[in-house]
Amino acid sequence: MIKCVVWDIDNTLLTGVYLESGADLPGADPELAGVLRELSARGILSAIASRNPPAAADYVQQLTGADFAAVECGWGSKADAIARIAAGLSLAPDAMAFVDDDMLERAEVATALPDVLVLTPEDAAEAPGWPEFSPAVITAEARRRSQLYAERRRRQAAASEFGGSRDDFLRHAGTRLTIAPAMPDDLPRLHELSVRTHQLNSAGEPVTEADLARLLASPGDSVITVRLADNFGDDGLVGAAIMTGNDGSSGPDVRVPARVLVATVPLIMMSCRALGRGALDALLAWLCRSAAADGAAELRVPCLVTERNVPMRLALAAAGLRAEAGSVAPDGRAVFARPLTGELPALPDWVTVK
Amino acid sequence: MTGDQVTDDQAAEVGAELRAMLARVTGRPELAGVAAGTPLFGAGVGLDSLAGTLLLRQVQRRYGVDVAAEDLNLDSLETLGTLATFIAARI
Repeated sequence: MIKCVVWDIDNTLLTGVYLESGADLPGADPELAGVLRELSARGILSAIASRNPPAAADYVQQLTGADFAAVECGWGSKADAIARIAAGLSLAPDAMAFVDDDMLERAEVATALPDVLVLTPEDAAEAPGWPEFSPAVITAEARRRSQLYAERRRRQAAASEFGGSRDDFLRHAGTRLTIAPAMPDDLPRLHELSVRTHQLNSAGEPVTEADLARLLASPGDSVITVRLADNFGDDGLVGAAIMTGNDGSSGPDVRVPARVLVATVPLIMMSCRALGRGALDALLAWLCRSAAADGAAELRVPCLVTERNVPMRLALAAAGLRAEAGSVAPDGRAVFARPLTGELPALPDWVTVK
Repeated sequence: MTGDQVTDDQAAEVGAELRAMLARVTGRPELAGVAAGTPLFGAGVGLDSLAGTLLLRQVQRRYGVDVAAEDLNLDSLETLGTLATFIAARI
């Protein structure tokens, strides 16, 4: 049972960023303000772990009327902050939940404290209906969402106890990653991923269902999906890539000579559920190998260079793609490329290609 | 003592702290003993994008160096030694 929820402030309890807002301070998220009241009525504590000065916590307290059992403000690790809050309240980590809009803050806490229930603000809005929060009535959907999180916590706990490398753990967990061409039924989920992914998104802009349908119908383009499951659970469609121009004969816009065919990947995106589970590396390995098999001599990935999508750039670097120094265009993009000769990134044996 | 030697000493000091960070973000204590020349990506350490990002966040908190902002290709992450040198040159 969850006895204390630790909240982030910016873009979580507040609808904006406290420090950037000057005199015009953001308001409280009305849905989460309701959650704070509901939790308090059930005797579940709330606390703050924020990068803001303590005045931000006072401000949230005034706005929402919430009574925070502990306030941790600072630049240290939020996992350490949560551990201090738990110790101060004499609670075990599995009685703690943590809510943050930033995927990396969530990942850091999940890695350091695998027993803590780590939630996005969207899920936190529904979480009071889950069994861990002891509601009066539990709906079937709430039970299903709660089970998804339980799977993640079990996987995280098993990973932190496991001795070997990440790849050894993925194999041990029975990881199954399936790479397949997109089908029309996938389009709504693909559109949703293009809107929701930020840190693991190369293009940084949404793709409409209509555009995706056009790509699906075009012989020169392909839309590739990634599905991920393991012994802990099935996460379904978690990622995708769009590849274009790797078949000089069929694409009308491809006018490069046959010997220097270039495969361009305008979009790579991956859900945060797949983070740390080898899915992005596997997708990049497959893109290299598939383009090479089609006769391309080079793979190019135009990628927005931002503070947020550093994980995407790390995956590109690990797959051997490089951009020319100083080549970031005024629109914030740089083209990362690699020749498709020599040793290509390995495709792990738990990947199935359809 | 020349400036280079100071940088070497600093790099060694940063390297020792980086090993501890690496062990923490990967959950693999044995990486606390990784050699300075071992590749971080691929067969060596097998640093993935999650562990790599968490490492760079710890680096930014500890040293105030934003590696991702200064190194487009993240070549500084080739080995633990190259990352330590990159950071030591900026603190």
